[in-house]
Amino acid sequence: MPASDTVISTQGLTKHYGRVRAVDGLDLEVRRGEIYGFLGRNGAGKTTTIRMLLGLIRPTSGTITVFGRTVGAGRQDWLRKVGFLVETATAYPNLTVTENLDLQRRLTGAPRAAVAEAIDWLGLAPYADRRAGRLSLGNKQRLSLARALLHAPELVVLDEPANGLDPAGIVEVRELLRGLARDRGVTVFMSSHLLVEVAHLADRIGIVEAGRLVEEAPRDVLAARARDFVRDTFTAAEREEALLTGDLERYFLARTGAAAKAEPTVGGAAR
Amino acid sequence: MRRQVVVTEFLKLRRSAVPWVSLAAILCGPAGMALFMWIIRDPARAASLGLLGTKANLTGLEATWTAYGSYLAVIVGASGMLLLAFIVAYLFGREYADGTARNLLALPVDRTWFALGKLAVAAAWWLVLTLIAIVEGFLIGWALGLPGYTPDLGLKVITNTVVAAAASLLLVPMIAWITVWTRSYLAALGFALGMLLLGDVVGHTGWAAWFPWSIVPMMTGMSGPVSAVVPWSSYLVLGLTFLGGTGAVVLQLRYADNP
Repeated sequence: MPASDTVISTQGLTKHYGRVRAVDGLDLEVRRGEIYGFLGRNGAGKTTTIRMLLGLIRPTSGTITVFGRTVGAGRQDWLRKVGFLVETATAYPNLTVTENLDLQRRLTGAPRAAVAEAIDWLGLAPYADRRAGRLSLGNKQRLSLARALLHAPELVVLDEPANGLDPAGIVEVRELLRGLARDRGVTVFMSSHLLVEVAHLADRIGIVEAGRLVEEAPRDVLAARARDFVRDTFTAAEREEALLTGDLERYFLARTGAAAKAEPTVGGAAR
Repeated sequence: MRRQVVVTEFLKLRRSAVPWVSLAAILCGPAGMALFMWIIRDPARAASLGLLGTKANLTGLEATWTAYGSYLAVIVGASGMLLLAFIVAYLFGREYADGTARNLLALPVDRTWFALGKLAVAAAWWLVLTLIAIVEGFLIGWALGLPGYTPDLGLKVITNTVVAAAASLLLVPMIAWITVWTRSYLAALGFALGMLLLGDVVGHTGWAAWFPWSIVPMMTGMSGPVSAVVPWSSYLVLGLTFLGGTGAVVLQLRYADNP
């Protein structure tokens, strides 16, 4: 694969907090136009990795390259191509949705029309003039996503993008991210501790544990491995229970008007 | 982009209550001073007001433009050190309190400009408050009919007040640094209060000219007789404090971890 097809590359990325190794020798490669799911439990090192990718914290050792530029202190120009959402939805509570996005527009050099487009795109039109401090958690998350996408970035880095969203909202965001990658060629790097979220979206999945990448494979390959694992490990009754959970999720989505957007789960495990 | 950074820092203040709180606080200064002047102008009134009258008399003030004008500089310069620290702690600290600091620091903008933009907003904010305090002070002073006003005295009061306000401004980058270092308001406000008290103590030791937080009280006479001539070394100390504080904020934002 040509080097220009690599959007994010880390070599031996390590971050220590005292004796705690939050990230431990992580080697990653994210390719242009793909959705990369960064999966791990709480505390596995996902957020620390994302913060290092964005230049918010400095690695103890190792290197990060984004769009061919080495990430380092004070070098922010590559961030022009990056949209991001870091862990929690945040905004200036005294400003309206429109005003919050206008700040982002000014600081990223996006055109004026981008604010209205982002509001429409994320379904925030009914709340455009509402102060961010008075939004529900789900709508704050939409606002954060709108902020991340406002300046038409080539790479979107999302830390737990489904946080705070209701099931219908999760499906909408799923569709939005899938559309970004499919229609606009945007590369998506998303972290989650929710397997189902990553399984629904990602082209490739990396599993991180204790700061190390323990497995990385295309989604279908990982799904096949998962099916084999489930077949070999769990009883038929336990497998039936898992299928029921999937069915319940789809039924809920159908009853709340999001059925058309509901997607089959990975590898057809839950039909 | 640099202009936009400063513009956005101003825009963030829309509908914030803090500018109004700071306005109310600065308005209380000259108004309180005027109340004391109004009381001590008339001994019978002072006697009839009980504790408040006694307190006003204990200040040893005279109800003249000279005394009133000198206290205007104290209010804006020295007492304002705390108010200005509050403003700067708010400007920097709200980004951490609201969780927006990460959004800001991962933008394609040199972080130096965020620090300078916020300090520019603080300077503009403080300038407006200072001008409001001066106008309020003069209007009340004239309304009270205090004796001894001359245009020369008026100009001197304005000059002293503006110089004291400017000197206070030179101290605030240290407050900004403590805010971004600790990522909260509290330590910065504690530091400001501590330095105000320490400045008063040092002001009585003969080292006032060398301790940044004693220089403004020294200029205004808050911690003793007004210094007729502030030594050049004090201006140097204030300048170095400003540069040191600004440099520390910029280095903290650019090179330290901002998780």
